[in-house]
Amino acid sequence: MAVVAEVAPVVANTRNRNGRRDVHTSRQARIGWMFSTPALIFVGMVTIFPIVFSVALSLSNVSVTGSGFALQGFTFSNYSQLVHSSTWRYALGFTVIYTVVTVLVELVLGTAIALALERLTKGRGLMMALLLLPWSIITVISAELWQYIYEGTYGVLQAIFQALGLGAPVFLGSPTSAVVSMMVADVWKTTPFVAVIVIAGLVMLPGDVYEAAACDGASAWTIFWKITLPLLRPTIAIAVLFRILQAFGVFDLPFVLTGGGPGTATTSLAILSYKVMFQNIDYGPGAAVAVSATLLVVLGCLAFLRVFKAQVGREEIQ
Amino acid sequence: MKLVKTDKRRFSLKSTRTTTLVLATSALVLAACGTTSSTSSTSSGSTSQPSGSATSGNITWWASPIGQVGIRANLISHFEKAYPKIHVTLESAPTNTDTNRSQLVTEISGGSTSPDVFMGDVIWPAQFGAHGLAVPLSKYLPSSYFAKFAPGLVAGATYKNQVYGSPLFEDQGFLYYRKDLLAKANLPVPKTWQQLESESLTLEKDNLVKYGFVWEGDSYEGLTCDFMEYLTSAGGKVVNSSYTQAQLNSPAAFKALTFMRSLITSGASPQAVTTFQEPQAMAVFDAGNAAFLRNWDYAWSNSQNPADSKVVGDVGVAPLPTFAGQSYPGYSNIGGWNLYINPHSKNVAADLTFIKWMSSTEAQTILGKTYSEIPTVESVRQTLAASSSTPPPLRVAAQTRLVPRPAGTPNYPQLSTAIYTNVNGALSGSMSVSAALKAAQSQAQTALSGGL
Repeated sequence: MAVVAEVAPVVANTRNRNGRRDVHTSRQARIGWMFSTPALIFVGMVTIFPIVFSVALSLSNVSVTGSGFALQGFTFSNYSQLVHSSTWRYALGFTVIYTVVTVLVELVLGTAIALALERLTKGRGLMMALLLLPWSIITVISAELWQYIYEGTYGVLQAIFQALGLGAPVFLGSPTSAVVSMMVADVWKTTPFVAVIVIAGLVMLPGDVYEAAACDGASAWTIFWKITLPLLRPTIAIAVLFRILQAFGVFDLPFVLTGGGPGTATTSLAILSYKVMFQNIDYGPGAAVAVSATLLVVLGCLAFLRVFKAQVGREEIQ
Repeated sequence: MKLVKTDKRRFSLKSTRTTTLVLATSALVLAACGTTSSTSSTSSGSTSQPSGSATSGNITWWASPIGQVGIRANLISHFEKAYPKIHVTLESAPTNTDTNRSQLVTEISGGSTSPDVFMGDVIWPAQFGAHGLAVPLSKYLPSSYFAKFAPGLVAGATYKNQVYGSPLFEDQGFLYYRKDLLAKANLPVPKTWQQLESESLTLEKDNLVKYGFVWEGDSYEGLTCDFMEYLTSAGGKVVNSSYTQAQLNSPAAFKALTFMRSLITSGASPQAVTTFQEPQAMAVFDAGNAAFLRNWDYAWSNSQNPADSKVVGDVGVAPLPTFAGQSYPGYSNIGGWNLYINPHSKNVAADLTFIKWMSSTEAQTILGKTYSEIPTVESVRQTLAASSSTPPPLRVAAQTRLVPRPAGTPNYPQLSTAIYTNVNGALSGSMSVSAALKAAQSQAQTALSGGL
């Protein structure tokens, strides 16, 4: 019965191809618009308007007054201020290094974990749940946990170092160690995310290729480099893109752990933007920091995809 | 079959959908821009006659929690007894001062009529005044009103000859010390910074205490406060009086910062002070792990609360030391909170009544006597200082020398950032003292001209 009911409209549709189809479609379209308009307005308000407004802010002389923002004139001065600011250049450098290092480490670790988990025959569900635990904790909260670990007088990690006779380092007290500590916290939290995406990719890989490879007597190592990794490329691309976008906007970890210090060592572009906007009440330059960060990360992702596609293309030809 | 068909139809709609999306968005943007320009054209026209009734109406008071629990509610209930027709609603503000400010800026610049009165930091007047985010109180209140406050407080609340904040309670740096430890080691209360350092080392060496001296060395506003105290005692300044020239690359600044760094390298202060804000420093001291603490007035009541502190009864309070060769005491940085009025408030007259009552003898005595906050009204301060039942910090406050932060410019946040990031860099050893001061100098100069 159900089958018949489903087939009927299809037949009707094909039959009407030349006659009433257009009328039918436009009516359908109207209904479609009716249903999607609220959602479109919503998306416009919460996504597109803020983005457009930030761009407008960043290209104007903004004066904050008791009666609202006044956007005066069109200017690039906010951006030229950035380029000439050593603070912005430093924040950019930090954000880029932070992104590259954490994404690379997470990718390698995440893939390794995914490969191991895929082989598991027992307890895979449990392991997946355990794995996802760090990812499921809100970053502000996990940052507070790491704060407790890194703390300079009663911190857990310091106590361990002391017990091992390695002195009493203050992990968040010097620029290098603060940056590394923050990267560790980030890797701890987001490696599971990469692992889960890669597992999904692994499960989808065709089995026959592996059988063929086994018949040809390829070693596990060769299979990984010549088959698994190339086939996983699209999956890895997705994981990397998501991670770059997230890592480039890092805010909560430095906000909780260091406030951007020591000195300005962990001031990311997002932290800088927050400070310029909400502490200095300088909306123009603050918006310019935010927009510059967005533009740079989008350009970075596009470049990554281009290189990546070129790579894939070349292999297909081979 | 069916699925494919439907998909095709959907795709054919795609271009129309995109067009409409763009149209809808641009309409939204246009609408929003329209609102922006129309609001910005209406400037807040202020007269010297406040709006509303001075003895009736509803007002909301935006204030973050003050030291001990219940202060705000207690003050409100006393006020409502004096003015039964004015009803005050407390709106609790975030405890983080920066979050507090950003919320206020968003609300007030968005035209919100609430809160009517807000409690704001003493370093806000220039920034709020310059952006029109607070009512110039001196337009409504005579200069005789401002004469009753302790010296320096009204000057700190003034920007371009207008007073924006009415001082509510003051705060300042104090030296807290362990009476029991000093007695055991037979040491006097330190009067110079050098003496404080050597006594710290002695107490540590004799295994009487884990750390000598704890203070606020993290990369944040509080470090600017601490640095101001050393800098002023060493005879230095941050800027010239007209806020045109930064003066951080000076011998006095070098002396101050070199000493602060030496506290860490000598071991008088733990390496971790470069990550300490007030709560961390206070926690180490209250746990009995430090001999000396630099902190604000509220650290006293905390150290005397058995639930939080292991050193109840062993704590002494003194003015901050100075550098050897300078006259004692050293300088304490001014903190504390003022009351401001929202320019969109519908009932400025009632707001003023509330603000005036908050600086009355009755309110100031409640703040000082019941809650050991430092009153801002000079006569109340004197009365309390003369009474032996007054908490020690309030009595010590009468002997201290005060220095404000250089907050007379709307660019103070950038100026302070230039100070605390570089000072923190030098303290953590990631840059030399002279390199830090050079960087602080050039960033402070950029800050004064409104740069990033």
